[in-house]
Amino acid sequence: STDMLMSSEKEEDSDVIPEDSSLLTLRIRKKDLERREETIIVDRACRQETLTYEMESHATGKRPDNLTDLIEDGELLLTLNIFYPVIFQKHKDHKPYQTVLVLGSQKLTELRDSISCVSDLQIGGEFSSQPDQAPEHISKDLYKSAFFYFEGIFYNDKRYPECRDLSRTIIEWSESHDRGYENLQSVKMEDYVFNDLSLKIGFPYLYCHQGNCEHIVIITDIRLIHHDDCLDRNLYPLLIKKHWLCTRKCFVCKMYTARWVTNRDSLAPVDPCFFCDVCYRMLHYDAEGNKLGEFLAYPYVDPGIFN
Amino acid sequence: MSAVPGLKEDCEELLGAFQQADTVRFERFAELWRERRFHTVFYGRIRALERNKLTKTTLELAQQYFLPPYSFQIRVGALYLLYGLYNAQLCQPKQKIRIALKDWPEIQKFQQDLLDSQHYDAAYVFRRLRLARAFHFTAMPKLLTYRTKKKIEENYFKEEFKDPSNRVNSLITNDVLEELMNIHGHYQKMKCVISADKSQPDKALSLIKDDFVVNLKDITLEHQEWQQNRRKLFRNAKETDETENKKKEGTLLESEGSERANALARIKYKSYSAVVEASKSRRHRQVQLESSETGSSCGKSPSKKTSRRPQPERRRGEMQVAKETVTRHIGMPIITEENSDE
Repeated sequence: STDMLMSSEKEEDSDVIPEDSSLLTLRIRKKDLERREETIIVDRACRQETLTYEMESHATGKRPDNLTDLIEDGELLLTLNIFYPVIFQKHKDHKPYQTVLVLGSQKLTELRDSISCVSDLQIGGEFSSQPDQAPEHISKDLYKSAFFYFEGIFYNDKRYPECRDLSRTIIEWSESHDRGYENLQSVKMEDYVFNDLSLKIGFPYLYCHQGNCEHIVIITDIRLIHHDDCLDRNLYPLLIKKHWLCTRKCFVCKMYTARWVTNRDSLAPVDPCFFCDVCYRMLHYDAEGNKLGEFLAYPYVDPGIFN
Repeated sequence: MSAVPGLKEDCEELLGAFQQADTVRFERFAELWRERRFHTVFYGRIRALERNKLTKTTLELAQQYFLPPYSFQIRVGALYLLYGLYNAQLCQPKQKIRIALKDWPEIQKFQQDLLDSQHYDAAYVFRRLRLARAFHFTAMPKLLTYRTKKKIEENYFKEEFKDPSNRVNSLITNDVLEELMNIHGHYQKMKCVISADKSQPDKALSLIKDDFVVNLKDITLEHQEWQQNRRKLFRNAKETDETENKKKEGTLLESEGSERANALARIKYKSYSAVVEASKSRRHRQVQLESSETGSSCGKSPSKKTSRRPQPERRRGEMQVAKETVTRHIGMPIITEENSDE
């Protein structure tokens, strides 16, 4: 039987819409293009678009160097949307999320490690008197507990001795009275892979860490792995979409991302006020390192730090 | 996924033209495609990111026509359309066609139907797509996106593309008729056994119409044929004013219809003996049998160009059976009144 009778015979420029097209799609698109030409001065991809496209497609077709890392046929690929915990007014209608691809045979702990949340990097404590001693350990190291909640089961991270069972509170609460939730269980996260779970697509699940930082997790797609996908196991969980958050800049230089935030600062015009490291030290400390004025200062990690 | 403006209309127009052409041959589809230069549907200065999204939406739209409840011809047209769109797309690497797990058995059945009815070009197209790894096998048919919609779009099926909902046929299937025949046979035998004359049931025991199974089947066939004629007329009246004779010449029954008709022809053949027996005791009732097609009985060569189901063989088989009257029903069929007796 016949083959590719579809393609055009002569050389055609796929950018040019033919004049006398009988397709409604093309007529509409042509009008759109003309309108764009009139109104937009420079019509090219902005940074955001390039970033989104790159992230979507950077890993397609990749093969591992080491053949043991090659993904087998029949492997499942899940697409998860993990929502950011930040709540801004402008995000009312569309809450920002990042999209992660994960393999069916990967453990839940691998996913947990790959989720980057700004609250993991927070440093607690007031450091106006000793700015140089802002400690190295971030919250991620201090509070290692986390859990996932899928279909009535809490998967707690128990790899380290400091990890606590955060879900215990919830289970006790639900068992104390008849609240209509049957059978909540608590198991270890590191014992399970995604293939073991029973999941609903589109149903919101929970990822909680740091005790009170909660992310909604939604599974949008499950499919078989395909020849054109990235077949390097080491690259998974793979981040393919990230929401771009504008970072807060230093109040003084308006150039660098803020690293310090001050409250009740006599030297600052607003409360709270954000400073980058250099400006902060220049304003609040003299040449010997003595504190000038009264203020409370906290190290600040901007949510946009992962851009 | 946001819809591409104008695309649905274009696809439906192409599939409509294909349906009009009353064939499932790929050459015909390719002609229609080339007429409209459908491969240009991806043209226009589109940047990479949007082109990916656009192609995905296009393939998703075309894929909807590939599944039931659309009629067989539309499904074959959708297969060709998917083939064309998949190969004409400008994305690199190519965007894939999503197939959900629940649809896969139906698609396999569809492919088996294609092979059985010897539509090798359609089966070949499907095989090409599989070899080109054009499919993503997914759990759900639509990829979820999370944007609050301003209005919820209703997904409506274009009425004309849909298979006529054949409630009657789905109730009175082959199996049901065979069952009825069997039970009827048993019943007759039972009556014979308990009556005085071992070869024939007692007159006093004749409580039912003996050939009601055959009548049931005939009525069903009549209904099906009426429905198809009505659809054809409807379509003709709406669009062009071609002469009706041309349209009626080749009735393109759906593949299920043809299989069922084959099986029913078998049952009919078997049941003719029953009819002959009963007519002795029921001389006052007219037994009216109708053939299952309206088309003129001119012989058609099953050429590859114009695809017909293996109808000529079946028709010849039926011609052999005597006592057959060919009737044409355009309007509502008139069900002959039967005197109720006993």
